[in-house]
Amino acid sequence: MPSPAPPRLIDFFGAFATGGLLTLMVWFNGTLAGYGTVLFSSWVPHLTGTVVAIAVLFILRPTKASTKPAPGWAYLGGISGAVTVVLTSTAMQSPLAVSGTIALGLAGQMVFSLAADKWGLLGLPKRAPTWRDIIALLLIFAGSLILIFWGAN
Amino acid sequence: MLWFAGVAILGGVLVSLSRQINGRLSLSLSALHSSYWNHLVGLLAVTAFGLAFGGLFVGDPWGAPWWAYLGGPIGFVFIAASSWAITRIGAAQTALLIIAGQMVFGVIVDVASGTAGDTSARVLGVVLILAGMIIARTGSEKTLDKADPND
Repeated sequence: MPSPAPPRLIDFFGAFATGGLLTLMVWFNGTLAGYGTVLFSSWVPHLTGTVVAIAVLFILRPTKASTKPAPGWAYLGGISGAVTVVLTSTAMQSPLAVSGTIALGLAGQMVFSLAADKWGLLGLPKRAPTWRDIIALLLIFAGSLILIFWGAN
Repeated sequence: MLWFAGVAILGGVLVSLSRQINGRLSLSLSALHSSYWNHLVGLLAVTAFGLAFGGLFVGDPWGAPWWAYLGGPIGFVFIAASSWAITRIGAAQTALLIIAGQMVFGVIVDVASGTAGDTSARVLGVVLILAGMIIARTGSEKTLDKADPND
């Protein structure tokens, strides 16, 4: 099992900045949902994202990493993402509200990520989670809960 | 209530699952291809759901400010970047950093836009998140499994 070296700085801050993009997406898509439905607020970014993707692939023509074809299920990540929208909008309308839904979602995301690393689920490299990973996750989860439940009015 | 809690948790699991599936595709193709397929397949799925159950164009869908329609290009970069990250730093570190980034930038946006909030809670939350990031960054050889002494 490969030893989990500390992530390289560029990957580390790249992933952190990626989270910032999510803030913008939630903001933009949330604004859309205020005018149309939650479904519409998922449909629009999927549509415009597909248009941008086609343009980027056409211009950059990225090379394929492998000559072997990917397994068929590897193309279906978008379905999982689309179902997420339905699930979270369902949970948000329950007494959990937005904050409870986000908090539980973060927990589910963290636990499943640890499981994925530990067992190398879905063909990704196995990485035994370290105690540091767990402590870091718990600290970030605690900080997130404080922001979700007490940070904003 | 418990049922809804399960739905909310499953929502988070699917976020992680979708990131892993896209990451796997990027190992065969590229992170950009992976984001393309995620958006195309997701678009078909959401469209099919809308056709089956309705509710796609209810309300005033075209009345939002123009910038609210720009989530797609950001989403394209987001999926490509997370597919890139998960194959390099693993699912847990990717989740941890994306969540940290989302939360910290969320506070920055709130403060910059003058959204009312509890300052001490914001400071405490951000400090805990940064502390978690510092711990994750320092890495370690000790794993939950028996650490290989040769590592």
